[in-house]
Amino acid sequence: MFERTQDLRLSIIKQMELEASKYPDAVSLAQGIPNFDTPEFIKRRVERALKRGVVAKYSLSPGLPELREMVEESLETEGMFYDWEKEILITAGSIEGITASIMAITKPGDEIIIPEPTYTSYREVIKLSGCRPVFVPLNKEKGWAFEIEKYKQAITSKTKAIFYCNPNNPTGTIYDRTQLLKLAELAEKNDLFLISDEVYKDFIYDEKNFFSLAEIPELRKRVIRIFSFSKAYAMTGWRIAYLHSDEQNVKEITKVHDSLVTCAPVISQYAALGALEAGKKDIKNFKKKYLERRNLICKKLANLSKIFDFVTPDSSYYVFPGISPKLAQKIDKNLITEQGRVDSWKFALWLLEKAQVATVPGMAFGPNGEGHLRLSFGREKENIEEAFRRLEKLFKNC
Amino acid sequence: MKKIFKILLKYYLKYITKLALLVHRPTIVAVAGSTNKSFVKKEIKKTLEKKDLKVRANPKNFNTEIGLPLAILYLPSGYNEYRKWLPVIFKAPLKIFQKNFPSCLILELGTSDAGDMKYLLSLVKPRISIVTNITQRYLEGYNDMNEMVKEFALLAAKTSNLLILNNDNNRVRELASRAQAKIIKFGEKDDSDYKIKDIKKEKKGQTFILKNKKKNRDIELNKFGKHHIHAHTISFIIKDYFNGQKKF
Repeated sequence: MFERTQDLRLSIIKQMELEASKYPDAVSLAQGIPNFDTPEFIKRRVERALKRGVVAKYSLSPGLPELREMVEESLETEGMFYDWEKEILITAGSIEGITASIMAITKPGDEIIIPEPTYTSYREVIKLSGCRPVFVPLNKEKGWAFEIEKYKQAITSKTKAIFYCNPNNPTGTIYDRTQLLKLAELAEKNDLFLISDEVYKDFIYDEKNFFSLAEIPELRKRVIRIFSFSKAYAMTGWRIAYLHSDEQNVKEITKVHDSLVTCAPVISQYAALGALEAGKKDIKNFKKKYLERRNLICKKLANLSKIFDFVTPDSSYYVFPGISPKLAQKIDKNLITEQGRVDSWKFALWLLEKAQVATVPGMAFGPNGEGHLRLSFGREKENIEEAFRRLEKLFKNC
Repeated sequence: MKKIFKILLKYYLKYITKLALLVHRPTIVAVAGSTNKSFVKKEIKKTLEKKDLKVRANPKNFNTEIGLPLAILYLPSGYNEYRKWLPVIFKAPLKIFQKNFPSCLILELGTSDAGDMKYLLSLVKPRISIVTNITQRYLEGYNDMNEMVKEFALLAAKTSNLLILNNDNNRVRELASRAQAKIIKFGEKDDSDYKIKDIKKEKKGQTFILKNKKKNRDIELNKFGKHHIHAHTISFIIKDYFNGQKKF
């Protein structure tokens, strides 16, 4: 019984939130959700759709034509050309798009390579599809970059895809053009799909460039690109996203999507329409706020350099500091694993107990994330200030 | 309160827009249909700009009773905030005599309820109109398909010089019977004036042949989907029409 779910685990982020809920005065840097509400214009767009009585029925399985048409226009502004009628699919959040894509391109027993540390749910989706996740570590010394040699070694006859998050959650890394092109070359050579989850692409700081392999027409049959409205437009609860690829892939993915959800929630599709119609300025405002908060959290972390080392994130609203094993050893020997790294789960629980600051243990993001914590700066400045006031007090004598 | 404000705003903008159009007398190209209006509009704009015409097209969704006048007057929307509408209301009369008013306006006409087209055509008199296609999209605003088609039939009847129709769509093709203007049909059907044939999907886009009485054109696009083939075809029709006119 429950064979399919035996190896699945509940999100560690959710587990940590559950733990934090036991402390009434806990400050959370764990939740990966923006503190902003969905912009007013989007809400008005939904109200209009409700008044017109157009949200009660299913849409076409790939999504409302007007929304897909707008997605095509939006992609065009980013140098990507996809046919809204055949190559764009509206999904119930990015995770549904990811699940449908993996189920469409694999058979049970296949392997999918994931650079890690990366988003926790990828592992579960791959497992749920009957496939095996193969973790390939990112190089922290090189700013959490890919190491192509390691991918070459990880590829077997069962490998079907390389699945990455760009910009990456939890490291905030942007993979540059050279790295991605090398990955594409490898995918071409070994006939692999490339699944690119680009949920954070709107929050890029310091005028860094962002490049997507979906911009290269020759790769359109290999690349499945996923984008969600959740983060960019503060719409996590609406569960709405889209994916695009060559029609031969989207045709197959749509079959799975249709079996899973019939169509994305129509009310949310209207919200997405509103987002594309007039949401650009809201993204700009959010980005400005996140940049201020990133600078604040990095400054605070730099003040605790004896405890944490970190790479300044170029994107997203996360920072992923490493915890000093020396300090952890000094606090409690039990906080150290047999491999001599800091047990991030125990350390996060310890922080919660002692300072009532909730964080996400790095092990949630893959083996290479052990010894780290993910801190979110998606919440208000005051939240960050208070969390660090407590941390500074806690580590005062260390 | 909101309703009254909207009605007042609608008529205020309407009469200012009519005055501006009376003063500047631009050529109006109307783009209507259930889908593909935006891509068609962009292609026509590119074509006409190459002819050194000063062209303005309405931004996406500025295609209804309030959006269309704003686009013509080149004003932003105040959306749902009264405060943001105030500068728009003050600036609107100044736009009547604005310098550099475009000689050509390419306007997407959006209809989602019965009567929408009648209102929009009380604002603008298109010299050229294009109907991209008619599908069941937006059908919820009408009693049935016939009522929706009447909106487009009105546009066909009110267009003065040239009506461009998608010959592959039955409902669009039937609009020809309502037209006063010259009609040019495009599509894959044999009786099309501009016939699209040999569509091929390539690695970097698609290719097709566009055939009319005068010549065959081999066309290569870096975009995917039949709607782009239609948009390009329409822009060629406009280009040829332009070349045949002494004054556009």
